[in-house]
Amino acid sequence: MNRPPSPGAKIVMYAILAIMCLLALYPIWFAILASGRAGDRLYTFNLAGMFIPTEWTWQNYRALLFDTAFLSWIKNSLIVATATSIASVFLGTTGAFAFSRFKFRGREAGLILFLAIQAFPGILALVPIAQILSALGLYRRLEGLVMAYMAGQLVFATWMLKGFFDTIPIDLEEAGMIDGCGPIQSFVHIALPLARPALAITALFGFMAGWGEFFLANILIPAPDARKTVMVGMYQIAGTINIPWGQFAAGAVMVIIPILVVFLWLQRYLEAGLTVGGVKG
Amino acid sequence: MIGWSGRRKTLTILLFIAPTLLGIAVFSLYPLILNIFISLTDRGKFHPNPDCTHAVWKIVEPTCWLGRPPQGLASPFTFRDPVWKNYSELLGGLFTKESLLALLFIFIALLPILAAWQVNRRLDRQITRPISSGVVWLIGLVGTLLLGWLINVPDQYQVLLDSGDFIMVNARTILYVLICMPLLFVIGLAMALILNNRFLRGLTFFRVALIVPWAASTVAIMMTLVWQFFFREQGTINQLLRAIAGFMGPAYLTKTGWAWFVVVLVQVWYTYPFFMVTLLGGLQGIPLELYEAAEVDGASWWKQLLNITLPLLRPVALPVIVLSSLTTYKIDSIIWALTQGGPTAGAGKPGATEFVMVHAYKQIFQTQAFGRMGAFAVILFIALFGATLYSLRITRITKGAYE
Repeated sequence: MNRPPSPGAKIVMYAILAIMCLLALYPIWFAILASGRAGDRLYTFNLAGMFIPTEWTWQNYRALLFDTAFLSWIKNSLIVATATSIASVFLGTTGAFAFSRFKFRGREAGLILFLAIQAFPGILALVPIAQILSALGLYRRLEGLVMAYMAGQLVFATWMLKGFFDTIPIDLEEAGMIDGCGPIQSFVHIALPLARPALAITALFGFMAGWGEFFLANILIPAPDARKTVMVGMYQIAGTINIPWGQFAAGAVMVIIPILVVFLWLQRYLEAGLTVGGVKG
Repeated sequence: MIGWSGRRKTLTILLFIAPTLLGIAVFSLYPLILNIFISLTDRGKFHPNPDCTHAVWKIVEPTCWLGRPPQGLASPFTFRDPVWKNYSELLGGLFTKESLLALLFIFIALLPILAAWQVNRRLDRQITRPISSGVVWLIGLVGTLLLGWLINVPDQYQVLLDSGDFIMVNARTILYVLICMPLLFVIGLAMALILNNRFLRGLTFFRVALIVPWAASTVAIMMTLVWQFFFREQGTINQLLRAIAGFMGPAYLTKTGWAWFVVVLVQVWYTYPFFMVTLLGGLQGIPLELYEAAEVDGASWWKQLLNITLPLLRPVALPVIVLSSLTTYKIDSIIWALTQGGPTAGAGKPGATEFVMVHAYKQIFQTQAFGRMGAFAVILFIALFGATLYSLRITRITKGAYE
């Protein structure tokens, strides 16, 4: 493994890399190509058109943006995802700090409780959550959806932030204590500023989870059209009889590409978090 | 920490924990507890409303303590008799003689490979190995295949599938995980090995490009709809086939075998970057001197892989495999966008790719038997929680053993 590979082996390795790259990128490239093609089909009989842009029109984008409720779906998704991420980080930070820094009775039990709740998949919580929301009159409302997302997201955020606080050395806070800082001051003036990137990443996670979620959104806001989230709306477009595939592809591009950019831009941080998040799923 | 103890300390800790715990209690814990109560009742389409005069529902049911008890013609739901009836209905089929025997036979067929694992662990402790680990694994694998053929494992599996929907769905999901994991590990490891090669150029580009599927998995439902289009009867693959080879393939997602192939392929596509990245991290932690020493001893590339790389990769690989098994077990949006659980063999029977979460979702949607689905959730919750605790233990053990 330490020797330079032979030229033959090098070629094989580059070939594998190239093929895997093609496989990784082609579906997205395909969606981009299809979004610029006139008509209702994703494919084209022109073989070259499946790989390189042979025609381009903005008509699908225009139709999606102005003839469907796409913009309100986007707005709803933005509201729900932002509210979930901010609320979960806001409520989770202090608890995460306490679980990371203080020793107290019930700490272990609390951590196991977090794990237990994380093990409970969202779909299975659907029954009780739907009952609660309809009792509260929040069924078919964005607030209700935020509440449903909080069920998983708050624990996730707390768990993740606890992990981040664990990596911040305690020395600074101890120095602060010697200078007369109480625990609250040391939290506000020392730990919080240091944890700012972690807070941002955790919030981003909450946002992405809310942005991509489908099942809860589909059941908890079945109607009206203008109140759906973008995943549900797009799924509905892909399920109609005469599917406007060009519009669907345009929507897919607009929904997927921003997330891809953010993810690849922050990949180093997100990878660490996703390993933590693997417990959840 | 310095200078604070007693009541002041308790107060401070409470102040910190209260917002988080309160949030968790309201948003997560309460639904969980309510679900346990629901799982003991016959709540569903025909008995949707609680009996608010009953002491239990007065306390746990939100419609009751909100002061506007629901008015409906249907009689309120009641506890089942016996209360665990939902559970016994779901699991009942497993505790018949045939199913238990089938389970036993499948376990017996797996014995050789388990034995190979144990023998290898023994041999690892000795200084000189009489046989290499690959040979032991091979013997175990051949033994399992031979025994599996003798016992006729597919038949036993079928017996298991026939013993109730819940067990059928779980058995299928486990089979699915068992198919996905080796593929993921091999592809992830191969890509990690290539990306770890110091003598190749331009790897940063490839590394970023290969992560794209992982990034796309955050919007899995949309991305998978694009994938689904590839495999439609008039989809991309068939269009390409017609243009190049002159014939059309089948409608892949409506044929059981093909549907499984597609479902595995797409899941592997989404998840191999996770394996690749974490295994790459593990590879970079292996000291180069080990390989240099092996070269001096004249060990081949293959020998180095088996005797240096794989054993040293274990503390990284094991948690990744366990975590990924859990998430693959809970696969939902990908299946939903590809097949919706189909193709179905008949009305009322779970489809060929209807894995646990998809089954649960469909059942909640279609039958609206909330009581039974509550029990479904509780059983899965116990299993998943156990698996999560176990995975944490593995992570900790492997970390402790090698650090």
